[in-house]
Amino acid sequence: MRTRGFVLALSILLAALGVECGEAAGAAALFTAAQARAGRTLFEQKCAMCHGRHLQGLSGPALKGPLFASRKAGYTVRDIFLFLSVNMPAYAPGSLGAEQYVNVMSFLLQQNGFPAGRVALTAQAAATSTVALLYHGPDGRHGRDARRARDCAASGARAPSAGHAAPRGCTPLAAAVPGIEAGGHRHAAGKRLR
Amino acid sequence: MRIIHVFLRRRLWPVALLAAALAPAAALGAGYPRVTSARLAAAATDNGWLMFRRDYAGNSYAPFRQIDTANVKDLRLVWSYRSHLQEGYEGSAIVNGDYMFITTPKDHVIALNAVTGKVLWKYAKSLAGVALKTVCCDVVNRGVALYGNDVYLATLDNYVVALNAETGRVVWQRQIKPADVGYAMTLAPLTLKGMVIVGESGGEYGARDFIVALDARTGRELWRRYTVPAPGQLGGKTWPKGMYKHGGGSAWITGTYDPLTNTLFWGVGNPGPWLAKLRPGKNLFTDSLLALQPRSGKIKWYYQYTPHDSWDYDGVNTPVITNLRYHGKEYRAVVEANRNGWFYAINRLNGKLIYAVRFTRATSVAGFRNGAPYTDNALRPTLTKQVFTCPSFLGGKNWWPMSVDPLTHMAYVPTIHTCMTMKGAPTFYKAGLPYLGETFNVVHDPDDHNWGALQAINLDTSRQAWNHDSALPWDAGAMSTAGGVVFSGSARGHLYAFDARTGRVLWRSPQLSSGIIAPPSTYIVDGKQYVAILAGWGGGVPIWGGQMVQSVSNIPRGGHLYVFALP
Ligand code: HEC
Repeated sequence: MRTRGFVLALSILLAALGVECGEAAGAAALFTAAQARAGRTLFEQKCAMCHGRHLQGLSGPALKGPLFASRKAGYTVRDIFLFLSVNMPAYAPGSLGAEQYVNVMSFLLQQNGFPAGRVALTAQAAATSTVALLYHGPDGRHGRDARRARDCAASGARAPSAGHAAPRGCTPLAAAVPGIEAGGHRHAAGKRLR
Repeated sequence: MRIIHVFLRRRLWPVALLAAALAPAAALGAGYPRVTSARLAAAATDNGWLMFRRDYAGNSYAPFRQIDTANVKDLRLVWSYRSHLQEGYEGSAIVNGDYMFITTPKDHVIALNAVTGKVLWKYAKSLAGVALKTVCCDVVNRGVALYGNDVYLATLDNYVVALNAETGRVVWQRQIKPADVGYAMTLAPLTLKGMVIVGESGGEYGARDFIVALDARTGRELWRRYTVPAPGQLGGKTWPKGMYKHGGGSAWITGTYDPLTNTLFWGVGNPGPWLAKLRPGKNLFTDSLLALQPRSGKIKWYYQYTPHDSWDYDGVNTPVITNLRYHGKEYRAVVEANRNGWFYAINRLNGKLIYAVRFTRATSVAGFRNGAPYTDNALRPTLTKQVFTCPSFLGGKNWWPMSVDPLTHMAYVPTIHTCMTMKGAPTFYKAGLPYLGETFNVVHDPDDHNWGALQAINLDTSRQAWNHDSALPWDAGAMSTAGGVVFSGSARGHLYAFDARTGRVLWRSPQLSSGIIAPPSTYIVDGKQYVAILAGWGGGVPIWGGQMVQSVSNIPRGGHLYVFALP
């Protein structure tokens, strides 16, 4: 009883601080539900054999969860999109069309708890997005901030992303997908080579 | 105090245990035969199978005659052991006395009675919190090493673990690099002169790889040999400024040792990133054979198999120590069947090339001048140019150990026949992500539509002696024996026995539960010879194999150790 009371108090406190389950919640809506659906089909055909039907990892690494989308790994959406659209699927790198890569990226985001929104992800946006790829809980159904993110998404804006000094409410979507700059920019955490 | 404490724990604990139990000798020592440096030096003639490819020379050859060309057809299954893990099984069964040690994917070790198959203990490295992000070619392990009363394992999260051979308890463990940031280990360690020596993988992730020697008793690091030199070191000028930091040069297959010259041989993998345009220079010591001083890791000499590689032609395949007679001259040689499709015989006294011959279609490395290879520069991809070249990056031969038979003077070489298209692509370095800069597609050799073969090369003539074609890739290790039999497993899951002289198929096991990518071992207990093989399809081919993947996509998964003997 005591424990439960404590947990309750703690979760109220954490909720007040906007922190959920050890990971700051609140993910941007970067893609549409239709994109994620198309991405799932593609994933099952082209990726699941190595990464597992549930993205749990087989001969290829897990593509879902706190170990994949971790603060320690420090991936952005751009990092993962640029990698997978050039190098995956491993047996035929770069063999899918841009739209298919965008869809499968949408599916990965969704599986890592990013909410679907009204605005579709484009290759350009995915290739330049500096949004942190962090796990936000199973299928985005993870707490207040994720819900708020969905609400924000529905209004064409986004919730503050993890790690931001969280202003309450929504910021415009454009801020989540900066840089319509054409490629060749410097990478945040390393050298970009051409 | 601490030292005494450690001393008590490490050294006297077994003695104390023995005394306390007042047990007969059988409880300890008599059961597990201690592995001394002398026994390791004589591993070739031991009744067990004491290390990766049996002996320091790496011959994968056993002097056993009980199973021979006449009776091999009578081999029967005597026991088997099934593992639940579904990824690839690349380990050699290691046998000492009647103790057998096998490893599974994801770093489990299982100790079994080599005669009955009874499980003695199991150990599973905890990989909790490890994402296995930077493991390119399946989460495999290639087996253990032995020394004293310990069993050594190298893990995917870069630990070297010493286990007590009788109990499986951890004696010490040491992490030599963090996990998931480009480095991982899949190889069987090598124990030599009281050291346990391992090498890092990571050529696809911008690692700067190394070979490291630890004190076998304590895990203390004794030396570390970076395979990619820093500025100011030997070979440092062969890299553009700063590029050595992510230059790859993985060392992911167990080396060999030559007592005659007191040399440790170790192969080095591809440079990073793959696209050579990004790193002008020879990029030493990638794709090279290193001849090292075993006590210090100092380089005595090197031989680069592929200069300025843009095709992922790792030079890690086992450098086998053997003697040969070429054009009437005797040589003390080290031989290697390289990823780039050439078979190299090198004078092991001085690192000079004796000969190099193609053993599959090979176009990227076009020929040799003054004993050094040269490449066809028209076959180097760029961001705008796609090339077609052979073999594919999977190699004429990948890591699967070949066998060298001192009686036939032949090398038995598992081979794949592939070519590839390859083109440059943008890349960037980020710890934990691949660092390639190329896209590629593996396709058939236009002249040979078999994906694989097991072939014999006569070491004295450098010519092919026989060839066994295979529609599927032949990506399993080979073993030869004094009984005149060569053993190797197929992707379809049959263990084959070939006549060592002619290549005639003498026997084929019933189809096993999965395809074979591991090398066989053989051992004698109580006068009876056994042959052990792990089935368990996986590894690099089904991941990166391009058009080849389709031909192997229906092979069932799962690990299964099979032990055969005569009735
Ligand atoms: C044939 C096996 C295979 C297939 C099919 C495959 N992958 Fe991979 N994937 C791998 C391996 C192995 C890695 C490990 C990194 C490397 O070496 O490239 C990887 C790495 C990744 C990574 C980077 C993970 C990290 O944490 O660094 C992503 C993202 C990815 N794959 C996405 C995909 C997607 C999306 C598909 C389908 C379009 C796909 N993969 C298909 C084998 C495969």
